[in-house]
Amino acid sequence: MTERIKPPRAVFLPFMMGHHFGVPFHRELQWRIILDALALIYSATESGSVQKLPISWAQARNQAKALGLTEERNG
Amino acid sequence: MTVVSDPNGGELRQLRPGLWDTVNERYPGSMITRDELVPLAAPRVPLNEARVTFVSTAGVQPRGTLPFDTVHPVGDYTFRRVPSGSRTDELEIHQLKYPTFGAEKDLNVIFPIERLQELVAENVIGGLTPDFFSFIGYNMDPERLERTLAEDIADAVCEQRPDLALMSPA
Repeated sequence: MTERIKPPRAVFLPFMMGHHFGVPFHRELQWRIILDALALIYSATESGSVQKLPISWAQARNQAKALGLTEERNG
Repeated sequence: MTVVSDPNGGELRQLRPGLWDTVNERYPGSMITRDELVPLAAPRVPLNEARVTFVSTAGVQPRGTLPFDTVHPVGDYTFRRVPSGSRTDELEIHQLKYPTFGAEKDLNVIFPIERLQELVAENVIGGLTPDFFSFIGYNMDPERLERTLAEDIADAVCEQRPDLALMSPA
């Protein structure tokens, strides 16, 4: 869909719908996704740049489990 | 990061083959397609001086504001302002079209408002616009979407004079 809509810059993550900034409570991953997206604004030299972050959904979930990031709740 | 498509090469590599066609067959005429790339706009200030805004289709809104109409057959063409200084417990989601089990634990997985606040506190980014902007992605009339909602959000965003806009689907 990103390729059809043709945004000038995009970061693609192979994550589950509703989880585009990662898994719950994984702050480092959430920061990284934001910062990689913002960095692309400065680094892209051609419109239509799509970058893929080298982390899978399974890897993100496993990282969160390994870090014990399961207890906090909103509010 | 790995560049997976070459905008100069004409043909972009399909990341999820067939997805667009599947959706378009199920909801004929609902999908937006662009024929031309938008020219790049160069950032005017470095990241640590930039005022950042966030635009999302997550259907996130302040508690107590008019809920999005998530069951209207052609969608809801309104948006909500989400104060960028909000706490996550001051916000809620009205959206039926994506899994929210992660967001119910940690809203930042789809609306990373706390992470953006932290990046400002760490002087990584210069600041945030007073509001972020949220709507729902289930809008089945792309022409109406572009003519009304997209223009309304663009006007509202520009009024707050961001240097950078981070946009995310849900």
